Amino acid sequence: MELFETPLPGVGVRYEFTSAAGDRVGVIVRRDARRELLLYDEEDPDACRDSVSLTGEEAATLVELLGGTKVTERVADLRHEVEGLSIEWVTLEAGRGLSGRSIGDGRIRTQTGASVVAVIRGERSIPGPGPEFVLEPGDVALVVGSIEGVSAAQRLLTG
Amino acid sequence: MLAASTVSTILIELGAVLLVLAVCGRLAARIGLPSIPLYLLAGLLLGEGSPIALQASSEFIRIGADLGVVLLLLLLGLEYTPEELAHGMRTNWLAGIVDLVASFTPGLLAGLLLGWDPVACVLLGGITYITSSGIVAKLLSDLNRLGNRETSTVLSMLVMEDIVMAVFLPIAAVLIVGATVAEASLSVLLALAVVAAALFVSLRLGARVSRLLDSTSPELLLLTVLGTTFLAAGLADKAKVSAAVGAFLIGVMLSGQIAERGRELLSPIRDVFGGLFFIFFGVQIDPASLPPVLLPAIAIAIVTSASKVGTGWWAARRAGVAARGRRRAAAAMIPRGEFSIVIAGIGTAAGIEADLGPLAACYVLLLAVGGSLAVRFVQ
Repeated sequence: MELFETPLPGVGVRYEFTSAAGDRVGVIVRRDARRELLLYDEEDPDACRDSVSLTGEEAATLVELLGGTKVTERVADLRHEVEGLSIEWVTLEAGRGLSGRSIGDGRIRTQTGASVVAVIRGERSIPGPGPEFVLEPGDVALVVGSIEGVSAAQRLLTG
Repeated sequence: MLAASTVSTILIELGAVLLVLAVCGRLAARIGLPSIPLYLLAGLLLGEGSPIALQASSEFIRIGADLGVVLLLLLLGLEYTPEELAHGMRTNWLAGIVDLVASFTPGLLAGLLLGWDPVACVLLGGITYITSSGIVAKLLSDLNRLGNRETSTVLSMLVMEDIVMAVFLPIAAVLIVGATVAEASLSVLLALAVVAAALFVSLRLGARVSRLLDSTSPELLLLTVLGTTFLAAGLADKAKVSAAVGAFLIGVMLSGQIAERGRELLSPIRDVFGGLFFIFFGVQIDPASLPPVLLPAIAIAIVTSASKVGTGWWAARRAGVAARGRRRAAAAMIPRGEFSIVIAGIGTAAGIEADLGPLAACYVLLLAVGGSLAVRFVQ
């Protein structure tokens, strides 16, 4: 899943992605705690069919309901602090890229300068996986590095 | 000490003026228009030559209006974080230049055609250039368009205008003072250096400065921020670079939590004094001076709406937005408002070109209302 990030000066940051079913979904993280949940229009790709305003508490509840973790929020904070730092979640697919092989096999850090700093496997999260760590299909790897480094690492991981 | 009867008149008139603002604001909200044009109209009705002209409180309202300008510019500076300004400059400089050339030039040329003093022409260029970030941001939020993809393009253009204002205001202030070419260029360089230094300080030391001034108590935070701002504004005015510039730079320099909370606490205060500023601007204008400038104002409004439409459309297309989104972005650039009046106010205070105030009032009335309608109805 590819997550796009767009700064909205004076408002906050907008994130958007396309779901597997083809819906374009967006979230505005406002500078205060409020969030806007957006659903884009199919006919007019730049406009929203609907948007939902959430207070900080409502957003937190929605996250709990959706079964997310607090990790993303912390990642968003981190991203604001370091200029030029790119952070990407990469999902491994069966039979492609590095799935079934170890992180060391991919020589990600040597080749791209970016690192896999954590892997989410099902309900479990594995922080700081070593080079011997074997990736499995369905694993979600958290890659951190420069913008170019992360996209190169993404290509290595997904093949 | 003021005589007791003066105090009572000031209180009565000030109360009446604030109530007029309140009624205008409610009316504007009811019909879905920004409140600035109604404030201006109210000012015109309360002005000289009108049967309900203000007497004793005009001096007080003048001071209130000055504070209004300072607060408007402080909040403009607080609006964007230093990172947003830096990011805007890096990624949007081309759009910024196109916007500047497309919408500043018509105002400048119109002034020359009207046979105005060159300084007044530069101010008119600024008036036609600056889109109202207040009106646009509020409309986009009211119309639930913050999530739209063209919105980020529109907001980035507003950031660029904000940066241009930081450079434009000190230059305008220097030009108004009137100086030889050598003196003026030296002052312009000095002004640019001060702006660059402020941006640098805000990017490098902003966090530290802000932490030094920050406080968890709203009272202390307000006192510190207002004190710093008025002091800087006053010093800037003494140095002949206009109080507005000083306030703006303080706003730019504050960042992080203090900016966040400052915005929250100061916005209502800005709205009160800003309202006084718009009323006072209207009060100073003789309604009889409006009809002669109406035609030029309409012509300039048409040309500079077209230039903004072109810029908005072009910038949205460049960002990969589809046809309907481009039309929305184009319309969203039209409204002019508070900062056009601020620029005109600087000119009228200095007494250059008698027609500048009336023309700016007509122009802003036309484009605050017309632009808002355009944003609302272009789907």
